[in-house]
Amino acid sequence: MDSWLTPETIALLRSGLWLTLLVTAITTVGSLLLGIAVGTSAMLGKRPVQKLSKSFIEIHRNIPALVVVIFWAFAVPNLFPQQLRQTLFFNNPFWDSISTSTGLALPYYFLAGTFGLILNTSGYLAEIFRAGVNTIPAEQFESARTLGANKRVLFTHIMLPMGFTAAFPAVSTRLIHNFKNCALLSLVAVPIFFHGIQTAISKTFRATEFLLLATVVYLILSALIATLLRYTETRLARSGAEHA
Amino acid sequence: MLDQLLFIFENLPHLLIGFPGQRPGGLVMSIILTFVGLGLGFVFAVPLALGQLSSIPPIRWLCRIIVDIFRGLPLILLLVLVFQVIGSGRFGFVLEPRGAAIISLMLYSTAYQAEILRAGFTALPKQLDEIGRMFGASRWQRFWHIHLPTTFRTMRPALTGQTISLFKDTSVVIVVGMSELMMSARILLGNDISNAPYWVSVYLTVGVLYFLAAYALSKYAESAEHTNQVKGWY
Repeated sequence: MDSWLTPETIALLRSGLWLTLLVTAITTVGSLLLGIAVGTSAMLGKRPVQKLSKSFIEIHRNIPALVVVIFWAFAVPNLFPQQLRQTLFFNNPFWDSISTSTGLALPYYFLAGTFGLILNTSGYLAEIFRAGVNTIPAEQFESARTLGANKRVLFTHIMLPMGFTAAFPAVSTRLIHNFKNCALLSLVAVPIFFHGIQTAISKTFRATEFLLLATVVYLILSALIATLLRYTETRLARSGAEHA
Repeated sequence: MLDQLLFIFENLPHLLIGFPGQRPGGLVMSIILTFVGLGLGFVFAVPLALGQLSSIPPIRWLCRIIVDIFRGLPLILLLVLVFQVIGSGRFGFVLEPRGAAIISLMLYSTAYQAEILRAGFTALPKQLDEIGRMFGASRWQRFWHIHLPTTFRTMRPALTGQTISLFKDTSVVIVVGMSELMMSARILLGNDISNAPYWVSVYLTVGVLYFLAAYALSKYAESAEHTNQVKGWY
Protein backbone atom coordinates (compact mmCIF):
# COMPACT_ATOMS: atom_id res chain seq x y z
CA MET A 1 0.00 0.00 0.00
CA ASP A 2 1.52 3.20 -1.19
CA SER A 3 1.20 6.12 1.16
CA TRP A 4 -0.63 8.72 -0.87
CA LEU A 5 -2.55 9.62 2.27
CA THR A 6 0.07 11.04 4.60
CA PRO A 7 -0.90 12.19 8.10
CA GLU A 8 -0.61 15.83 7.03
CA THR A 9 -2.96 15.42 4.08
CA ILE A 10 -5.40 13.62 6.34
CA ALA A 11 -5.28 16.57 8.74
CA LEU A 12 -5.72 18.99 5.84
CA LEU A 13 -8.73 17.12 4.47
CA ARG A 14 -10.27 16.65 7.89
CA SER A 15 -10.16 20.36 8.68
CA GLY A 16 -11.47 21.07 5.18
CA LEU A 17 -14.36 18.71 5.77
CA TRP A 18 -15.29 20.46 9.01
CA LEU A 19 -15.09 23.81 7.27
CA THR A 20 -17.37 22.56 4.47
CA LEU A 21 -19.93 21.43 7.04
CA LEU A 22 -19.59 24.73 8.90
CA VAL A 23 -20.11 26.77 5.72
CA THR A 24 -23.08 24.57 4.79
CA ALA A 25 -24.63 25.11 8.21
CA ILE A 26 -24.04 28.89 8.22
CA THR A 27 -25.31 29.39 4.66
CA THR A 28 -28.34 27.14 5.25
CA VAL A 29 -29.47 29.03 8.35
CA GLY A 30 -28.48 32.43 6.95
CA SER A 31 -30.21 32.01 3.62
CA LEU A 32 -33.35 30.54 5.19
CA LEU A 33 -33.64 33.61 7.43
CA LEU A 34 -32.77 36.11 4.70
CA GLY A 35 -34.84 34.29 2.09
CA ILE A 36 -37.99 34.22 4.23
CA ALA A 37 -37.43 37.88 5.21
CA VAL A 38 -36.98 39.01 1.62
CA GLY A 39 -39.85 36.84 0.35
CA THR A 40 -42.16 38.21 3.05
CA SER A 41 -41.24 41.82 2.41
CA ALA A 42 -41.85 41.23 -1.29
CA MET A 43 -45.41 40.30 -0.34
CA LEU A 44 -46.26 42.43 2.70
CA GLY A 45 -43.88 45.39 2.54
CA LYS A 46 -44.63 48.93 1.43
CA ARG A 47 -44.45 49.60 -2.30
CA PRO A 48 -40.75 50.63 -2.49
CA VAL A 49 -39.74 47.78 -0.15
CA GLN A 50 -41.63 45.32 -2.36
CA LYS A 51 -39.89 46.65 -5.47
CA LEU A 52 -36.51 46.40 -3.78
CA SER A 53 -37.11 42.84 -2.53
CA LYS A 54 -38.32 41.71 -5.95
CA SER A 55 -35.25 43.10 -7.65
CA PHE A 56 -33.04 41.41 -5.04
CA ILE A 57 -34.75 38.12 -5.87
CA GLU A 58 -34.46 38.53 -9.65
CA ILE A 59 -30.83 39.63 -9.49
CA HIS A 60 -29.68 36.74 -7.37
CA ARG A 61 -31.72 34.15 -9.26
CA ASN A 62 -30.25 35.17 -12.59
CA ILE A 63 -26.57 35.56 -11.70
CA PRO A 64 -24.33 32.53 -11.07
CA ALA A 65 -23.28 31.94 -7.47
CA LEU A 66 -19.64 32.05 -8.54
CA VAL A 67 -19.95 35.61 -9.87
CA VAL A 68 -21.50 36.77 -6.60
CA VAL A 69 -18.84 35.00 -4.54
CA ILE A 70 -15.92 36.37 -6.56
CA PHE A 71 -17.46 39.83 -6.57
CA TRP A 72 -17.62 40.06 -2.77
CA ALA A 73 -14.36 38.24 -2.09
CA PHE A 74 -12.00 39.50 -4.79
CA ALA A 75 -13.56 42.56 -6.43
CA VAL A 76 -14.83 44.56 -3.47
CA PRO A 77 -11.44 44.90 -1.68
CA ASN A 78 -10.04 46.30 -4.94
CA LEU A 79 -12.30 49.34 -4.55
CA PHE A 80 -9.72 50.68 -2.11
CA PRO A 81 -6.14 51.78 -2.75
CA GLN A 82 -3.59 49.10 -1.96
CA GLN A 83 -2.42 50.39 1.42
CA LEU A 84 -5.93 50.89 2.72
CA ARG A 85 -7.05 47.56 1.27
CA GLN A 86 -4.39 45.69 3.24
CA THR A 87 -5.35 47.31 6.54
CA LEU A 88 -9.10 47.08 5.93
CA PHE A 89 -9.43 43.51 4.73
CA PHE A 90 -6.34 41.57 5.67
CA ASN A 91 -3.96 42.98 8.26
CA ASN A 92 -5.63 44.47 11.26
CA PRO A 93 -6.19 43.33 14.85
CA PHE A 94 -9.78 42.29 14.10
CA TRP A 95 -8.90 39.86 11.30
CA ASP A 96 -5.78 38.73 13.18
CA SER A 97 -7.84 37.77 16.20
CA ILE A 98 -10.27 35.79 14.02
CA SER A 99 -7.32 34.26 12.24
CA THR A 100 -5.66 33.05 15.43
CA SER A 101 -8.87 31.75 16.98
CA THR A 102 -10.10 29.86 13.90
CA GLY A 103 -6.89 28.97 12.11
CA LEU A 104 -8.09 30.54 8.87
CA ALA A 105 -5.28 32.31 7.03
CA LEU A 106 -7.52 34.81 5.26
CA PRO A 107 -10.78 35.18 7.21
CA TYR A 108 -12.07 37.95 4.92
CA TYR A 109 -12.35 35.54 1.99
CA PHE A 110 -14.23 33.08 4.18
CA LEU A 111 -16.71 35.73 5.32
CA ALA A 112 -17.16 37.26 1.87
CA GLY A 113 -17.59 33.88 0.19
CA THR A 114 -20.10 32.70 2.77
CA PHE A 115 -21.95 36.00 2.42
CA GLY A 116 -22.06 35.58 -1.36
CA LEU A 117 -23.49 32.06 -1.05
CA ILE A 118 -26.12 33.29 1.40
CA LEU A 119 -27.19 36.03 -1.02
CA ASN A 120 -27.41 33.55 -3.89
CA THR A 121 -29.39 30.89 -2.04
CA SER A 122 -31.70 33.35 -0.31
CA GLY A 123 -32.76 34.76 -3.68
CA TYR A 124 -34.03 31.33 -4.67
CA LEU A 125 -35.51 30.59 -1.24
CA ALA A 126 -37.42 33.89 -1.22
CA GLU A 127 -39.05 33.01 -4.52
CA ILE A 128 -39.80 29.46 -3.36
CA PHE A 129 -41.32 30.76 -0.13
CA ARG A 130 -43.48 33.19 -2.11
CA ALA A 131 -44.72 30.34 -4.28
CA GLY A 132 -45.45 28.30 -1.14
CA VAL A 133 -47.49 31.13 0.36
CA ASN A 134 -49.41 31.44 -2.91
CA THR A 135 -50.69 27.89 -2.49
CA ILE A 136 -52.41 28.80 0.79
CA PRO A 137 -56.19 28.96 0.21
CA ALA A 138 -57.52 32.54 0.15
CA GLU A 139 -60.09 31.70 2.85
CA GLN A 140 -57.29 31.42 5.38
CA PHE A 141 -56.30 35.04 4.80
CA GLU A 142 -59.91 36.19 4.63
CA SER A 143 -60.85 34.57 7.91
CA ALA A 144 -57.72 36.00 9.55
CA ARG A 145 -58.67 39.44 8.29
CA THR A 146 -62.22 39.00 9.55
CA LEU A 147 -60.81 38.24 12.98
CA GLY A 148 -58.82 41.47 12.77
CA ALA A 149 -55.35 39.96 12.44
CA ASN A 150 -52.56 42.38 11.61
CA LYS A 151 -49.65 41.68 9.25
CA ARG A 152 -47.52 40.25 12.03
CA VAL A 153 -50.11 37.67 13.05
CA LEU A 154 -50.76 36.93 9.39
CA PHE A 155 -47.07 36.15 8.98
CA THR A 156 -46.47 34.12 12.14
CA HIS A 157 -49.74 32.15 12.12
CA ILE A 158 -50.51 31.59 8.45
CA MET A 159 -47.78 32.49 5.98
CA LEU A 160 -44.83 31.05 7.85
CA PRO A 161 -46.22 27.69 9.04
CA MET A 162 -48.39 26.87 6.00
CA GLY A 163 -46.29 28.49 3.29
CA PHE A 164 -43.04 27.01 4.51
CA THR A 165 -44.51 23.52 4.78
CA ALA A 166 -45.95 23.77 1.27
CA ALA A 167 -42.64 25.04 -0.08
CA PHE A 168 -40.42 22.57 1.74
CA PRO A 169 -39.81 20.04 -1.08
CA ALA A 170 -38.49 22.86 -3.29
CA VAL A 171 -36.59 24.34 -0.34
CA SER A 172 -34.77 21.08 0.25
CA THR A 173 -33.76 20.80 -3.42
CA ARG A 174 -32.27 24.28 -3.18
CA LEU A 175 -30.49 23.48 0.09
CA ILE A 176 -28.80 20.48 -1.53
CA HIS A 177 -27.70 22.80 -4.33
CA ASN A 178 -26.41 25.16 -1.69
CA PHE A 179 -24.38 22.38 -0.10
CA LYS A 180 -22.80 21.61 -3.47
CA ASN A 181 -22.16 25.30 -4.11
CA CYS A 182 -20.01 25.46 -0.98
CA ALA A 183 -17.25 23.78 -3.02
CA LEU A 184 -17.08 27.00 -5.07
CA LEU A 185 -15.38 28.70 -2.12
CA SER A 186 -12.25 26.77 -3.07
CA LEU A 187 -11.92 29.28 -5.94
CA VAL A 188 -11.62 32.18 -3.50
CA ALA A 189 -8.86 30.60 -1.42
CA VAL A 190 -11.04 29.25 1.40
CA PRO A 191 -9.40 26.04 2.68
CA ILE A 192 -12.59 24.04 2.25
CA PHE A 193 -12.61 20.25 1.62
CA PHE A 194 -12.39 20.58 -2.15
CA HIS A 195 -9.57 23.09 -1.80
CA GLY A 196 -7.75 20.58 0.40
CA ILE A 197 -8.20 17.94 -2.31
CA GLN A 198 -6.71 20.27 -4.92
CA THR A 199 -3.80 21.18 -2.65
CA ALA A 200 -3.12 17.50 -2.01
CA ILE A 201 -3.17 16.79 -5.76
CA SER A 202 -0.74 19.59 -6.53
CA LYS A 203 1.61 18.26 -3.85
CA THR A 204 1.47 14.55 -4.65
CA PHE A 205 0.25 14.40 -8.30
CA ARG A 206 -2.12 11.60 -7.24
CA ALA A 207 -5.16 13.08 -8.97
CA THR A 208 -7.09 9.83 -9.39
CA GLU A 209 -6.88 8.74 -5.76
CA PHE A 210 -7.80 12.09 -4.28
CA LEU A 211 -10.60 12.85 -6.73
CA LEU A 212 -12.18 9.44 -6.19
CA LEU A 213 -11.92 10.02 -2.46
CA ALA A 214 -13.63 13.40 -2.91
CA THR A 215 -16.35 11.74 -5.00
CA VAL A 216 -17.08 9.16 -2.31
CA VAL A 217 -17.11 11.76 0.45
CA TYR A 218 -19.44 14.02 -1.51
CA LEU A 219 -21.83 11.19 -2.37
CA ILE A 220 -22.04 10.18 1.28
CA LEU A 221 -22.61 13.76 2.43
CA SER A 222 -25.23 14.44 -0.26
CA ALA A 223 -27.09 11.28 0.71
CA LEU A 224 -26.94 12.20 4.41
CA ILE A 225 -28.21 15.72 3.81
CA ALA A 226 -30.98 14.45 1.51
CA THR A 227 -32.07 11.97 4.19
CA LEU A 228 -32.05 14.67 6.85
CA LEU A 229 -34.17 16.95 4.66
CA ARG A 230 -36.63 14.16 3.84
CA TYR A 231 -36.99 13.42 7.55
CA THR A 232 -37.66 17.12 8.23
CA GLU A 233 -40.22 17.13 5.43
CA THR A 234 -42.24 14.26 6.89
CA ARG A 235 -42.06 15.83 10.34
CA LEU A 236 -43.28 19.17 8.98
CA ALA A 237 -46.10 17.51 7.04
CA ARG A 238 -47.17 15.56 10.11
CA SER A 239 -47.19 18.61 12.40
CA GLY A 240 -49.11 20.51 9.69
CA ALA A 241 -51.71 17.75 9.55
CA GLU A 242 -52.11 17.89 13.33
CA HIS A 243 -52.80 21.62 13.23
CA ALA A 244 -55.31 21.38 10.45
CA MET B 1 -15.71 57.11 -13.43
CA LEU B 2 -15.12 57.94 -17.08
CA ASP B 3 -12.04 55.73 -17.30
CA GLN B 4 -14.09 52.89 -15.80
CA LEU B 5 -16.69 53.22 -18.52
CA LEU B 6 -14.02 53.49 -21.17
CA PHE B 7 -12.25 50.36 -19.90
CA ILE B 8 -15.51 48.39 -19.97
CA PHE B 9 -16.46 49.77 -23.36
CA GLU B 10 -13.08 48.86 -24.86
CA ASN B 11 -13.16 45.34 -23.45
CA LEU B 12 -16.83 44.51 -23.90
CA PRO B 13 -16.16 42.61 -27.16
CA HIS B 14 -13.72 40.36 -25.26
CA LEU B 15 -16.37 39.56 -22.68
CA LEU B 16 -19.00 38.97 -25.34
CA ILE B 17 -17.17 36.91 -27.95
CA GLY B 18 -13.74 36.27 -26.43
CA PHE B 19 -10.22 37.43 -27.14
CA PRO B 20 -8.85 37.53 -30.69
CA GLY B 21 -7.32 34.18 -31.57
CA GLN B 22 -9.47 32.20 -29.14
CA ARG B 23 -12.91 33.00 -30.45
CA PRO B 24 -15.59 31.99 -29.83
CA GLY B 25 -15.20 32.75 -26.14
CA GLY B 26 -16.88 34.94 -23.58
CA LEU B 27 -20.67 34.99 -23.30
CA VAL B 28 -21.08 33.31 -26.71
CA MET B 29 -19.02 30.34 -25.48
CA SER B 30 -21.11 30.13 -22.29
CA ILE B 31 -24.24 29.93 -24.43
CA ILE B 32 -22.70 27.33 -26.78
CA LEU B 33 -21.61 25.21 -23.81
CA THR B 34 -25.11 25.39 -22.36
CA PHE B 35 -26.87 24.17 -25.47
CA VAL B 36 -24.31 21.51 -26.40
CA GLY B 37 -24.33 20.18 -22.83
CA LEU B 38 -28.09 20.26 -22.74
CA GLY B 39 -28.58 18.61 -26.13
CA LEU B 40 -26.11 15.80 -25.50
CA GLY B 41 -27.53 15.45 -22.01
CA PHE B 42 -31.05 14.99 -23.38
CA VAL B 43 -29.93 12.09 -25.57
CA PHE B 44 -28.77 10.18 -22.48
CA ALA B 45 -31.52 11.46 -20.21
CA VAL B 46 -34.31 9.70 -22.13
CA PRO B 47 -32.91 6.16 -21.68
CA LEU B 48 -31.95 6.95 -18.08
CA ALA B 49 -35.47 8.13 -17.31
CA LEU B 50 -37.03 5.09 -19.00
CA GLY B 51 -34.54 2.77 -17.31
CA GLN B 52 -35.70 4.01 -13.93
CA LEU B 53 -39.23 2.97 -14.85
CA SER B 54 -38.10 -0.41 -16.21
CA SER B 55 -39.71 -3.59 -14.94
CA ILE B 56 -36.29 -5.23 -14.67
CA PRO B 57 -34.87 -4.42 -11.22
CA PRO B 58 -31.12 -4.36 -12.12
CA ILE B 59 -31.71 -1.84 -14.92
CA ARG B 60 -33.83 0.25 -12.58
CA TRP B 61 -31.14 0.23 -9.89
CA LEU B 62 -28.34 0.98 -12.30
CA CYS B 63 -30.13 4.00 -13.81
CA ARG B 64 -31.13 5.24 -10.35
CA ILE B 65 -27.51 5.01 -9.17
CA ILE B 66 -26.14 6.83 -12.22
CA VAL B 67 -28.64 9.67 -11.77
CA ASP B 68 -27.97 9.94 -8.04
CA ILE B 69 -24.21 10.03 -8.55
CA PHE B 70 -24.25 12.90 -11.01
CA ARG B 71 -26.83 14.81 -9.00
CA GLY B 72 -24.92 14.34 -5.77
CA LEU B 73 -21.58 15.71 -6.96
CA PRO B 74 -20.78 19.41 -7.21
CA LEU B 75 -20.17 20.40 -10.84
CA ILE B 76 -16.74 21.74 -9.93
CA LEU B 77 -15.69 18.28 -8.70
CA LEU B 78 -17.16 16.59 -11.77
CA LEU B 79 -15.19 18.93 -14.04
CA VAL B 80 -11.88 18.27 -12.32
CA LEU B 81 -12.65 14.55 -12.21
CA VAL B 82 -13.34 14.36 -15.95
CA PHE B 83 -10.41 16.59 -16.83
CA GLN B 84 -7.73 15.09 -14.60
CA VAL B 85 -8.78 11.45 -14.32
CA ILE B 86 -10.76 10.42 -17.39
CA GLY B 87 -9.00 12.82 -19.74
CA SER B 88 -5.51 12.37 -18.32
CA GLY B 89 -4.43 9.89 -20.98
CA ARG B 90 -4.86 6.97 -18.58
CA PHE B 91 -7.64 5.61 -20.78
CA GLY B 92 -5.79 6.19 -24.01
CA PHE B 93 -7.02 9.67 -24.81
CA VAL B 94 -6.32 13.17 -23.57
CA LEU B 95 -9.13 15.65 -23.10
CA GLU B 96 -8.51 19.32 -23.68
CA PRO B 97 -10.41 21.73 -21.39
CA ARG B 98 -13.14 22.23 -23.98
CA GLY B 99 -13.89 18.50 -24.24
CA ALA B 100 -13.76 18.02 -20.49
CA ALA B 101 -16.14 20.93 -19.97
CA ILE B 102 -18.65 19.61 -22.49
CA ILE B 103 -18.56 16.05 -21.11
CA SER B 104 -19.00 17.25 -17.52
CA LEU B 105 -21.85 19.60 -18.36
CA MET B 106 -23.46 16.79 -20.33
CA LEU B 107 -23.22 14.31 -17.45
CA TYR B 108 -24.46 16.89 -14.97
CA SER B 109 -27.47 17.96 -17.05
CA THR B 110 -28.26 14.38 -18.06
CA ALA B 111 -28.97 13.51 -14.44
CA TYR B 112 -31.23 16.51 -13.87
CA GLN B 113 -33.05 16.06 -17.17
CA ALA B 114 -33.55 12.34 -16.50
CA GLU B 115 -35.21 13.27 -13.21
CA ILE B 116 -37.52 15.74 -14.97
CA LEU B 117 -38.39 13.31 -17.79
CA ARG B 118 -39.04 10.50 -15.33
CA ALA B 119 -41.62 12.67 -13.60
CA GLY B 120 -43.12 13.45 -17.01
CA PHE B 121 -43.32 9.83 -18.13
CA THR B 122 -44.95 8.85 -14.84
CA ALA B 123 -47.51 11.64 -15.13
CA LEU B 124 -48.58 10.65 -18.66
CA PRO B 125 -52.35 10.02 -18.71
CA LYS B 126 -53.00 6.32 -19.22
CA GLN B 127 -55.79 7.05 -21.70
CA LEU B 128 -53.34 8.45 -24.23
CA ASP B 129 -51.49 5.16 -24.29
CA GLU B 130 -54.76 3.25 -24.55
CA ILE B 131 -55.83 5.32 -27.54
CA GLY B 132 -52.55 4.38 -29.23
CA ARG B 133 -53.22 0.73 -28.48
CA MET B 134 -56.70 1.00 -29.91
CA PHE B 135 -55.22 2.18 -33.19
CA GLY B 136 -52.94 -0.81 -33.15
CA ALA B 137 -49.74 1.17 -32.61
CA SER B 138 -46.70 -0.83 -31.59
CA ARG B 139 -44.78 -0.21 -28.39
CA TRP B 140 -42.18 1.86 -30.21
CA GLN B 141 -44.75 3.83 -32.17
CA ARG B 142 -46.59 4.66 -28.97
CA PHE B 143 -43.37 5.74 -27.30
CA TRP B 144 -42.19 7.79 -30.25
CA HIS B 145 -45.49 9.46 -31.15
CA ILE B 146 -47.27 9.67 -27.79
CA HIS B 147 -45.05 9.30 -24.73
CA LEU B 148 -42.04 11.34 -25.80
CA PRO B 149 -43.79 14.37 -27.37
CA THR B 150 -46.39 14.61 -24.60
CA THR B 151 -43.79 14.38 -21.87
CA PHE B 152 -41.61 16.90 -23.62
CA ARG B 153 -44.50 19.32 -23.82
CA THR B 154 -45.69 18.95 -20.24
CA MET B 155 -42.18 19.09 -18.86
CA ARG B 156 -41.07 22.03 -20.98
CA PRO B 157 -41.21 24.59 -18.13
CA ALA B 158 -39.02 22.36 -15.97
CA LEU B 159 -36.63 21.76 -18.86
CA THR B 160 -36.28 25.49 -19.52
CA GLY B 161 -35.59 26.01 -15.84
CA GLN B 162 -32.88 23.40 -16.17
CA THR B 163 -31.48 25.22 -19.22
CA ILE B 164 -31.19 28.49 -17.34
CA SER B 165 -29.66 26.77 -14.36
CA LEU B 166 -27.11 25.01 -16.59
CA PHE B 167 -26.28 28.32 -18.25
CA LYS B 168 -25.38 29.79 -14.88
CA ASP B 169 -23.46 26.64 -13.97
CA THR B 170 -21.20 27.05 -17.01
CA SER B 171 -19.41 29.75 -15.00
CA VAL B 172 -17.77 26.95 -13.02
CA VAL B 173 -15.84 25.60 -16.03
CA ILE B 174 -13.26 28.27 -15.18
CA VAL B 175 -11.74 25.54 -12.99
CA VAL B 176 -10.45 23.64 -16.05
CA GLY B 177 -9.34 26.85 -17.73
CA MET B 178 -11.95 26.92 -20.45
CA SER B 179 -12.36 30.38 -21.93
CA GLU B 180 -15.97 31.45 -21.44
CA LEU B 181 -17.41 34.57 -19.82
CA MET B 182 -15.90 34.09 -16.34
CA MET B 183 -12.51 33.16 -17.73
CA SER B 184 -12.55 36.11 -20.12
CA ALA B 185 -13.09 38.40 -17.13
CA ARG B 186 -10.20 36.78 -15.29
CA ILE B 187 -7.88 37.00 -18.31
CA LEU B 188 -8.93 40.60 -18.83
CA LEU B 189 -8.00 41.58 -15.28
CA GLY B 190 -4.95 39.32 -15.17
CA ASN B 191 -2.32 39.72 -12.51
CA ASP B 192 -1.72 43.34 -13.41
CA ILE B 193 -1.91 45.39 -10.22
CA SER B 194 -2.83 48.48 -12.24
CA ASN B 195 -6.08 46.77 -13.20
CA ALA B 196 -7.17 46.59 -9.55
CA PRO B 197 -9.54 49.59 -9.82
CA TYR B 198 -11.47 47.85 -12.61
CA TRP B 199 -12.31 44.63 -10.75
CA VAL B 200 -15.64 45.81 -9.42
CA SER B 201 -16.83 47.26 -12.72
CA VAL B 202 -15.71 44.21 -14.71
CA TYR B 203 -17.49 41.76 -12.41
CA LEU B 204 -20.56 44.01 -12.33
CA THR B 205 -20.56 43.86 -16.14
CA VAL B 206 -20.17 40.08 -16.04
CA GLY B 207 -23.11 39.91 -13.63
CA VAL B 208 -25.21 42.12 -15.90
CA LEU B 209 -24.39 39.95 -18.94
CA TYR B 210 -25.35 36.73 -17.13
CA PHE B 211 -28.46 38.43 -15.81
CA LEU B 212 -29.58 39.70 -19.21
CA ALA B 213 -29.08 36.34 -20.91
CA ALA B 214 -30.76 34.31 -18.16
CA TYR B 215 -33.60 36.78 -17.72
CA ALA B 216 -34.25 36.97 -21.46
CA LEU B 217 -34.32 33.18 -21.66
CA SER B 218 -36.83 32.89 -18.82
CA LYS B 219 -39.07 35.62 -20.28
CA TYR B 220 -38.93 33.97 -23.69
CA ALA B 221 -39.83 30.62 -22.13
CA GLU B 222 -42.81 32.19 -20.37
CA SER B 223 -44.20 33.59 -23.60
CA ALA B 224 -43.49 30.36 -25.48
CA GLU B 225 -45.34 28.39 -22.82
CA HIS B 226 -48.33 30.63 -23.24
CA THR B 227 -48.51 30.32 -27.02
CA ASN B 228 -47.93 26.59 -26.73
CA GLN B 229 -50.89 26.22 -24.41
CA VAL B 230 -53.20 28.11 -26.72
CA LYS B 231 -52.09 26.11 -29.72
CA GLY B 232 -52.44 22.85 -27.82
CA TRP B 233 -55.98 23.49 -26.74
CA TYR B 234 -57.74 25.15 -29.61
